[in-house]
Amino acid sequence: MENLHELLHGFTIAVTMPHLALMVIGVLLGILVGVLPGLGAPNGVSLLLPLTFGMQPVSAIILLSSMYWGALFGGSVTSILFNIPGEPSSVATTFDGYPMARDGRPTTALATAFGSAAFGALVGVVLITFLASWVARVALAFGPPEYFAVYFLAFASFVGMGGAAPIKTVVALAIGFAIAAIGIDTVSGSVRLTMGVDELVKGVSFVVAVMGLFGIGELLVAVEEEVHARGVSSKIDWREVLRAVVRLPRHGIALLRSAAIGCWMGITPGGPTAASFMSYGIARRFSRRGQHFGTGEIEGIISPETADHAAGTSALLPMLSLGIPGSATAAVMMGGLMIWGLNPGPMLFVDQKDFVWGLIASMYVGNIVAVALVLLTVPIFAALMRIPFVIIAPLIVIICVVGAYSVSNSYLDVIMMLGFGVVGYLFKKLFYPLAPLVLAIVIGDKAEDAFRQSMLLSKGSLGVFFANGLVTSLVVAGLALLLLPLGLQIAHVLRKPGERKSIAPDSEDTTRQKVRVT
Amino acid sequence: MNVMSRLLLSAAGIVLAGTLPASAAWQPRKPIEFVATAGPGGGTDNLARAVQSIITKYKLTDQPIVVVNKGGGSGAEGYVYGKASAGDPHKVIFGTSNAWQQPLVSKVAFNYTDLTPIAAIAQDEFLLWVKQDAPYKTVSDYLKAAAASEFKMGGAQSKDTDEVLTRMIEKIGHIKLTYIPFKSGAEAAVQLAGGHIDSHVNNPSESLGQWRGGMQRPLCAFSPKRLPQGPKITAIEGWSDIPTCVEQGLDIPQYEQPRTVWLPGKVTPDQIAFYVELMKKVQATPEWKDYIEKTLQVDTFLTGADFDSFIKQDLDHLKQVAAEQGWLVK
Amino acid sequence: MISRRALEIATAILTGSFGVAVLVSSIDNGIGWTAAGVDAGTFPFVIGVIIVVGSLYNLARGYLPGGTLASVPVAITAIELRRLAGLFVPAALFVALIPIVGMYPASAGYVFTVLALPGHQSLLRSLVMALATPLALYVVFERLFQVTLPHGAFAAAFGL
Repeated sequence: MENLHELLHGFTIAVTMPHLALMVIGVLLGILVGVLPGLGAPNGVSLLLPLTFGMQPVSAIILLSSMYWGALFGGSVTSILFNIPGEPSSVATTFDGYPMARDGRPTTALATAFGSAAFGALVGVVLITFLASWVARVALAFGPPEYFAVYFLAFASFVGMGGAAPIKTVVALAIGFAIAAIGIDTVSGSVRLTMGVDELVKGVSFVVAVMGLFGIGELLVAVEEEVHARGVSSKIDWREVLRAVVRLPRHGIALLRSAAIGCWMGITPGGPTAASFMSYGIARRFSRRGQHFGTGEIEGIISPETADHAAGTSALLPMLSLGIPGSATAAVMMGGLMIWGLNPGPMLFVDQKDFVWGLIASMYVGNIVAVALVLLTVPIFAALMRIPFVIIAPLIVIICVVGAYSVSNSYLDVIMMLGFGVVGYLFKKLFYPLAPLVLAIVIGDKAEDAFRQSMLLSKGSLGVFFANGLVTSLVVAGLALLLLPLGLQIAHVLRKPGERKSIAPDSEDTTRQKVRVT
Repeated sequence: MNVMSRLLLSAAGIVLAGTLPASAAWQPRKPIEFVATAGPGGGTDNLARAVQSIITKYKLTDQPIVVVNKGGGSGAEGYVYGKASAGDPHKVIFGTSNAWQQPLVSKVAFNYTDLTPIAAIAQDEFLLWVKQDAPYKTVSDYLKAAAASEFKMGGAQSKDTDEVLTRMIEKIGHIKLTYIPFKSGAEAAVQLAGGHIDSHVNNPSESLGQWRGGMQRPLCAFSPKRLPQGPKITAIEGWSDIPTCVEQGLDIPQYEQPRTVWLPGKVTPDQIAFYVELMKKVQATPEWKDYIEKTLQVDTFLTGADFDSFIKQDLDHLKQVAAEQGWLVK
Repeated sequence: MISRRALEIATAILTGSFGVAVLVSSIDNGIGWTAAGVDAGTFPFVIGVIIVVGSLYNLARGYLPGGTLASVPVAITAIELRRLAGLFVPAALFVALIPIVGMYPASAGYVFTVLALPGHQSLLRSLVMALATPLALYVVFERLFQVTLPHGAFAAAFGL
């Protein structure tokens, strides 16, 4: 109950006019950087950082964290409307969000995404409020073998799903791993797979890859098939926003499950991206309407969004209590803490009560401000869908080109982005799955690092992955998730030996059929 | 946009009236790009942004300054970019000793000789850290325990400053250590607090919070004399209470990581002089002192021949360690 | 007109050659798994092998009659190919022009070309949009977020 008392005190700090104004400014700027691919919360936060040097630390962190919330929300907008994920963690939102928007329901898709995101964030904050010290202890239990096991679990929950052509899935996954390995290797310090291009020493940015694969790739598919979005009603309909939000509690189980996955991955080193993928994968497997995933299912939006924000929020806790940044943005904020004269670490909660509890209280208020602002913008964003394809197509090209360039001011990135666009088109056309490829690009090198660090610790023995209860249960859970569908399939085939298993068309294929306007 | 401009205005309001006119013969004619060879939030990024905000605040130049992060490949991205910008005096590269260390041990497409050295403007100290509840209280206890069982030493990156220091400890302390490279010092600190490794050699700022929180403690500092007296960190100890490693019988008198500033190659002496002057002016401000103090670095200023000989000396030493370890690239 | 078979084969060759490139360059980094840890090239090597083997399998499936998943023999018709080129070629030209004339003129030219030439929009509207695009880019990126977009070789020649 002491925490509750501290929290109330925190509210008296956070809920003042200047602080509310800072929240609104932060959220609006955050939405802007989130919506623009290539610019992300880290850009925005590092840009505002010098302006905060003269501020009170608590005001400064409120501004920056509000920007973070805004960017988390904004990242979903382009994912849903144009299939361009602005942030790594909003890739999984494209799987059902984009089909739903194309189907003429962008308002529902956006409102559902924002509503469930806010729910996830609030669960994350509640966790921080009441279980901060416990959470910090849990995070400490994770060494390299446990890190690897967490990544393995994320892969298993997502990749184990039956796709159209297993070998194509394997190839896509392996290509993702290879792309992740390009650049300097953490464990050996050596340069890998640059293939004679000096600039590739920096590695291939995830944003560059997804903007090509998803943004340009989808554009090519759309222009070829002359698929245009189903007409969106011209009236700005607030009731639809309200209806979508009110309908959320019906998916209570999906919300709670996804929030739990999100919090878990936020505290452990998995992070928001792995959380959203894992949540989507698990939802697809356990939902009654699992086979409809990928065609614009409500739960296909709820699951990744809730998990993403739950993880994004709880990732701030390891930053405050241990000094490890759970995300790129948290890393920038940590730099800020140092410059404001605060030292992230266990004592922050004791020494700087006003700061910590002001921040936590501002997370509640900031998220409410963010979701309110972002819901207000839904009809405006949804109206973008009404712009004719001939105009929106060149704009998307420009956004992708500028976005790819602005990741690290590199022209090479722009060319690679176009190349990824062609690959994305070919893969979609031939039913190579893109999701495993993207997941491998995002966490492939981290998984490899953790594996090789474990091998250094254990002197090359795999026994380290069964050395204690925590890592063993993670690995076993991962193996179960990986092998379960395989086992079920074998059992299925054995039961009906005469029936040749017909290969289901890829889910993306069905989407296209459904959406096609004839 | 309105919101942003209001924010910028309020920031402009903070700007002091007192300005120093720049007196060098050469003056920048277009916006200056500060290239941080680290991701947002990294030590080098913070330094570049601190310098940027000081220059802006005191209007030390008429041109705007933009900070660009090129931290890919442990900073190699930024140096390669600097090499490719030869002759452009509007790009300033902020780095570390990586500039000359990295080309020695990995096949990166640059060498420090492709860049023009401006100055080394701050130094990070190194300490030997162990877990709070570890049984050893002194360095000799630590070395004895490490000799009995192979210890695990964590650090940031591979074949980089942390690993070089680890190999020096091995050699001088007559022990064998397993080095586990992590992405950053912060990560190594958490691994130590969780008991997954036995020690690390973090900079003061990377482990300060955890020392205060009673999760890990320093055994000794790799510096010629004790660190400057500051406020107490824990209930009983402050930085100056940490013995030097030499005092404790581990004969490594000095190991520091400089923060370095470079221009691309093929620039004129006028242009070099302008930036040397600029850095000097930055160092004279109270904001700079504040930044150095808060990030627990040591204020230094090496330029010209001093800087060159510093690099030579460090390089000779590194070559020796790298040759012993078989790290040198063919 | 491109057949499904040709497309499958082309893609398999594309992924396969990437696999070979990965495999070859990983050998430089050393392959091995000993008590001293796992060498840097080990995983890329294994992954290269997986890509090559998988691509060979996909190639065989694409090549063999009846091996493809879909029964449609034609993947891209001539008219579809023209639409694809209509989007991709101007985009590629736009990207190619950036280092020469800079992002702003290139984007203006690109928008104007794709809107006005096929006659989708009136000349006036195309012109307005072509001018608005670089302006918006300038305000958002160069001013607001301090990202310098490429100004091009021409501008550099004039010392801008």
